[in-house]
Amino acid sequence: MNAAPQSARRIASANNAFFVDTVCFSCRNRLSQQSRRHAATAAAVSDPPPATSPQASSRAAAPIIAKGPRKAYRLMAAPVLSRPPLLTRDLNSFEKAFYLYQKRLNERLAMPFSRYFYYNKGTPADPEWKRKLQARKTPSRDIGIYDAYGNEGWNDEVLVGDRTGERESVVEALIRDAEGKSIVEESEKDQGAVTAGDAQLGEGQRRETTKIEVERPSSRETEADRSGDVKSLNRKLDRTLYLLVKNHEGRWRFPEDRVYGRENLHQAAERILIQSCGINMNTWLVGNHPIGHHAHHYPSQKPIVSKISANALVGTSKESEKEEFGEKLFFMKARIMAGQPDLGSNAYGLQEWAWLAKEEVDGRVGRSYWASVKNMLVER
Amino acid sequence: MALQEVTNAFLKRFRGCNGPLYQASKLQCRQYATAGDGQETQELEKSGSTTTTSGGQGMRELEESSFLSSTGGSGKDVQKFDPARTARKRNRRLPPSRYQYKSPRYYRGPLHPHQPPKPSDPSSREFEPGPFSLPRLEQTYHDTFASDFMTMTYTHFPPGFAPHQKGDRLRPWLGESPYYKNRPLRGPRGGDTLKLLRKPITFRNVPQLERVTVHTMVKGAIDDSAHLHVAGMAMQAITGVRAEAHKTRTSVAGFGIREGQYLSVTCDLYGEDMYHFLSKVVDVVMPKIKDWKGVRGSSGDSSGHLHFGLTAEDVALFPEIEVNYDMYPPRMIPGCHVMIHTTAKDDRDARLLLTQVGIPFYGKQIN
Repeated sequence: MNAAPQSARRIASANNAFFVDTVCFSCRNRLSQQSRRHAATAAAVSDPPPATSPQASSRAAAPIIAKGPRKAYRLMAAPVLSRPPLLTRDLNSFEKAFYLYQKRLNERLAMPFSRYFYYNKGTPADPEWKRKLQARKTPSRDIGIYDAYGNEGWNDEVLVGDRTGERESVVEALIRDAEGKSIVEESEKDQGAVTAGDAQLGEGQRRETTKIEVERPSSRETEADRSGDVKSLNRKLDRTLYLLVKNHEGRWRFPEDRVYGRENLHQAAERILIQSCGINMNTWLVGNHPIGHHAHHYPSQKPIVSKISANALVGTSKESEKEEFGEKLFFMKARIMAGQPDLGSNAYGLQEWAWLAKEEVDGRVGRSYWASVKNMLVER
Repeated sequence: MALQEVTNAFLKRFRGCNGPLYQASKLQCRQYATAGDGQETQELEKSGSTTTTSGGQGMRELEESSFLSSTGGSGKDVQKFDPARTARKRNRRLPPSRYQYKSPRYYRGPLHPHQPPKPSDPSSREFEPGPFSLPRLEQTYHDTFASDFMTMTYTHFPPGFAPHQKGDRLRPWLGESPYYKNRPLRGPRGGDTLKLLRKPITFRNVPQLERVTVHTMVKGAIDDSAHLHVAGMAMQAITGVRAEAHKTRTSVAGFGIREGQYLSVTCDLYGEDMYHFLSKVVDVVMPKIKDWKGVRGSSGDSSGHLHFGLTAEDVALFPEIEVNYDMYPPRMIPGCHVMIHTTAKDDRDARLLLTQVGIPFYGKQIN
């Protein structure tokens, strides 16, 4: 049956005085279309189906209709601009120990490495591989010195305090291997680059061959981390950073503004980002739906008459006056790819901005604001 | 009486007494998730132990654990312990029972003295070495993709509005004809295929990557089985997983194949292998493919599983094959199909997830 449930019909009927107040614009359109369609079919059909109505009423929940005089709230949007984490998180000690142990067990159980499939006999790569293998006894480069098939193959667990499984040692081992050295500094004979006997000086005399320098990866802790620069996007690369601004009252909040005219929440959020932080940011709004809300009711239920001026960027906005009982702020999720905020010509009198992780946001915003915001911010 | 298990029901009966027996049994029963009895946890709460983690406040409820802190133990006992040194110093040879253990080959029932160890135990015959790393793609999915996906696929209903209740999709034959009795139900409206029902996306059912299947069928193996061996080696190299060969099911004269010939190879990737393979394909192989438009928008089986193909030149771009490209016989490296299975119920959600992963799509997108 295509009959609309009783609740929707009740909301959509002309008798409902709170239709405009409680239902959003697009839903109002959809419901009124449905009610018009069903009114037409009801007129055509002689007797309405009695079986569906008691079922529909029992299934559909009673609609939430305000019981009181109509109260207007100031509708606001706030983009929550975030930079997602750029690095993976640090492993804790259990994970490091577990992964190292599993890799060593794999060494004991996996098929042996087929050397001549990768290193041809007679090529210079072959003796180099043989030398490296003699040093570390295993084809793997990230499990330290361990011979899975030898007499001490049973000794696969490392001792407490061993740094073999740490990220730094693994990276160091890989770089040393790429540079042609053995993964662990052994003795004088292995220092430096590949050695070769010199024809003029004689065998045994070392000659400096060309050193292979492999570029080391950048540190996970950046300059911005060390200096605590909250304006930098390079800080805390393994965490999500959120953009907070200090408004004209000195409060730290997400950039916010009223929704003007007939614009949607996501349109308002994009406009607010441009009007507050400038156009030098490559941002993307995730979806058209809010991820949270914050309601603030004016104290002692006294409304404030606010003068709404037309916004230059919104074509459908008009000058008007409205009596408002509070503010309802909806947060829209956005991601930044590149750029930085520029408060030089912002329309809201914003003083400062900062990129903050979740616990730092906690330290700066008010308590009731934090209560509304904390569950939509990500831990990492 | 012999007490097999101390249950809550038993304790309830005891609670009335509150005598010495009840106190004794309470001491032996674990009442909380943390180790130790209730008294220990109370002491901990009083002392107000705090652990330093990124979570902050929420972690104070957990006990302090050395796993959460990064430093290992230290001390004289730790410095003295070196099993390898003890073994080297030993002059006599140990009896084999001291260092050898083979788990039972057959399971002989729950009462047998020799019980097989769990498959997670390294001494088990079914043991497979577990995860070796925390893949970057998996972390990014849980941190970034999943919440973005929920936000993008949220559908709003006004308060008090329930969506239109739909009837059963397999409809009975209704009418006066006696032949309608016990007739099999009619198909769903709009077609004969019963598509998967798509439920609203919440934090509990965000589509995830489930499995990746890499498959090649080599025609050259009809005449020469070496082609299949090379294909298997190539697939094992790029996926890191042992390849499985398959026989043809039927004879098709048009393709020139007979039934029972080994002509194709597949590799099934789950978990860590899957994430590593996908990030390799998206970050290393796809950018290098010449004049590649992307994955076709119509790819998919309407149930959330998408597929695309890689030619032989594309497969040669994998770093595992590039490193010893000359060891493969010329023109024997095969192309392959890559099938990505997700927990999405329709192709639209699966495509959105793969777009987040980084796979570009072109052309009209069809569910």
